[in-house]
Amino acid sequence: MALLQIQEPGGKQAKPLHRRAVGIDLGTTNSLVAASCGTGVETLPDSTGQHLLPSVVHYAKGKPPLVGGEAKALLVDDPLNTIASVKRLLGKSLSELKAKQDYLPFEFDEARADGAPAILTEAGSKDVVQISADILGALVARAEASLKGALEGAVITVPAYFNDAQRQQTKDAAQLAGLNVLRLLNEPTAAAVAYGLDSNDQGNVVVFDLGGGTFDVSLLSLKNGVFEVLATGGDTSLGGDDIDHAIAEWIAAQLQEPAGVAVPSMAKLRQLANAAKHELSDKTQATILINQFSALLEESTLKQLTADMIRRTITSCRRVLRDAGLTVAEIDNIVMVGGSTRMPLVRDAVAEFFGKAPLTDIDPDKVVAIGAGIQADMLIGNKSPDSFLLLDVNPLSLGIETMGELVEKIIPRNTTIPVAKAQEFTTFKDGQTVMSLHVVQGERELVSDCRSLARFELRDIPSMVAGAAKIRVSFQVDADGLLSVSAEELSTGKKAEIQVKPSYGLESSVIEEMLQDSQSHAKIDMEARSIKEAQLEATQLLDAIANALLVDGNLLSPEEADSLAESIKALETTMTTGSSVQIHAATEELNQVSSEFAAKRMDLHIANALRGESIDAMEKSTD
Amino acid sequence: MQSLTRNYFTLFNLPEACELDQESLSAEYRRQQGEVHPDRFANAEEPEKLRAVQLSSYLNEAYETLKSPLRRAAYLLSLRDIDVEQVNQNDLSMDLLLEQIQLREKLDELPKDESALATLDALRSEVNAKLEKQEKNFAKFFDLENFNEAKKVYHELQFLYKLSAEIDAGEEIRLGY
Repeated sequence: MALLQIQEPGGKQAKPLHRRAVGIDLGTTNSLVAASCGTGVETLPDSTGQHLLPSVVHYAKGKPPLVGGEAKALLVDDPLNTIASVKRLLGKSLSELKAKQDYLPFEFDEARADGAPAILTEAGSKDVVQISADILGALVARAEASLKGALEGAVITVPAYFNDAQRQQTKDAAQLAGLNVLRLLNEPTAAAVAYGLDSNDQGNVVVFDLGGGTFDVSLLSLKNGVFEVLATGGDTSLGGDDIDHAIAEWIAAQLQEPAGVAVPSMAKLRQLANAAKHELSDKTQATILINQFSALLEESTLKQLTADMIRRTITSCRRVLRDAGLTVAEIDNIVMVGGSTRMPLVRDAVAEFFGKAPLTDIDPDKVVAIGAGIQADMLIGNKSPDSFLLLDVNPLSLGIETMGELVEKIIPRNTTIPVAKAQEFTTFKDGQTVMSLHVVQGERELVSDCRSLARFELRDIPSMVAGAAKIRVSFQVDADGLLSVSAEELSTGKKAEIQVKPSYGLESSVIEEMLQDSQSHAKIDMEARSIKEAQLEATQLLDAIANALLVDGNLLSPEEADSLAESIKALETTMTTGSSVQIHAATEELNQVSSEFAAKRMDLHIANALRGESIDAMEKSTD
Repeated sequence: MQSLTRNYFTLFNLPEACELDQESLSAEYRRQQGEVHPDRFANAEEPEKLRAVQLSSYLNEAYETLKSPLRRAAYLLSLRDIDVEQVNQNDLSMDLLLEQIQLREKLDELPKDESALATLDALRSEVNAKLEKQEKNFAKFFDLENFNEAKKVYHELQFLYKLSAEIDAGEEIRLGY
């Protein structure tokens, strides 16, 4: 075999025929791996022909972890050592998970110092990165067996709404599984790639992704091989599970009404509901049988049950169109992703809204993995480098806390990444030498309504008067959507830097709430912001007057001093309770009242200055 | 595309002017991203990867600046050493301020439900017409090298764009987005 490695001296090194790279869809319920196999990119099956790998891991003492269908079968019998849906735990702290009402059947490892969630199993304490890495490991083993060799790189998909912490942990898991991560790719973008390439299309594509638990919608423009994400949106608490739940409740209601049949467990009802839903994909009615009882679920009933959920998906579509500044007529294609898009009711609603039938040729469960596989094939160099390019966006705004607990957005959502932006800030107090920087993510105006990502301090700022120091804060988001922040005092070049890698992240439900809140609360926010700004303005004026009184208080007559004190008191009261308009009015009032005082001070200082200058001038003239 | 300090217009091979061919801009942007984007350096060494992130970020910033009429206007003024962040008292006429206050009051007084949508549409048309007029005015003053007047118009454009965003937000709330 060694003979094969001998090369002719001076001869050209043989070009490797094909480098092994895969695309991985690391899903909440199921995961897939796809790679280029001769004709095109396809998902790879296991030895029994299954393409979907259930995202479930079972740990037993002294044995390697069991991943997939076999682990899933142990969920009921060995719940403490069998972990499902680990993706939902990514990027969260233990305290955050425990605060949630959802029942999690695990025992968490309380001894972990970093507060990261880890689960106690027979095989030891396993954190979410480790568990995710074990799922990835099973996919890698499958791919290496299928492609007959070691993998050189992988593209891993993440939901468009994944925040910094969730992306970082996904990347950590891949690295732990020994993968060279070529790129983290947003799931909807991957789906568009799966459809977009063969046809060499031009135009605008909407990706409609209705999975088990989340709904994502993205709008991409495709031109000359460049995919540009124009906007993303969605609803992280909406999916096929909610539809099952609605049907299950309907079944329970049917049981109670006439027959009085004992209501089976919710799990059983959901199973029946799910089966009925699938039956309605190609029939107009489904029969549900429980013991001696049967119920008939008509398509029209299902339509009523799901009307609100489907309406919410369409609302999100409308919003994304608006964010991108496009109309329905300008959309050329709609790509369907996620098992729930098999429902005719969903397809019909989408077709009706966009005025054209959505694309459904590629299996909606596999389309994301296939797109990731195509991207991996290109990044590793198997395809000509100019074949296509993905320009993605950041899904949530990134900003910094400023005075008065306000958020200054530095990088607004839907900005194309990578992106670098800098903004200058200044000190608020005389002689301030430390500035603490608080990095937040979210759409709201007040810090308390956004998610805290990191805090750090810039120290040793030279002592100057308030407002004189110039501190430049720079944000850099890379092509994987990961953020780093640095701060620099410009006159001294003093620097502080942080890679934002928090030990917890945003809960998807929190992101959703934050996005929705930012809309419904836009009005309240505006007033809250105005109040904060008015308070800030008032504080500055009060501080200035207090300082002036200390120095030149003797310039005032007793009446003037009284009237000034009265206005100061009025502003102090209004500041805490009044609206922004009232605070402004009180500030203005104080400004008026103190103007006489300001004028007197001005006269005095000018007189002093002139005196100084005349002496100076005399000295000069005598020289 | 080697330097991080090049004039944005030169970067995209476009004339340095208020009027801009959006098609040429985005075609050239896509072409250059195709060369510098980090995806083109997925297999490269760290320094090259870092440089790709920087160049690609710079290109994105340049593109966003030229694409938006308001940001483009500010950028053009900054190339003439006019700082738009520095707002002088006489940059804003009393008439302009009064008009803005009136428009804003109109927006605030609208009913909070869908019945306001038609009025919002009318208000948007009004603001759009003003925007169109003032963008032309900006170009006129800028071309005449009357940068003081151009800066005044810029501030009016700022007001109008902000108002336009508030009209959109108002509509979104009423549509239940």
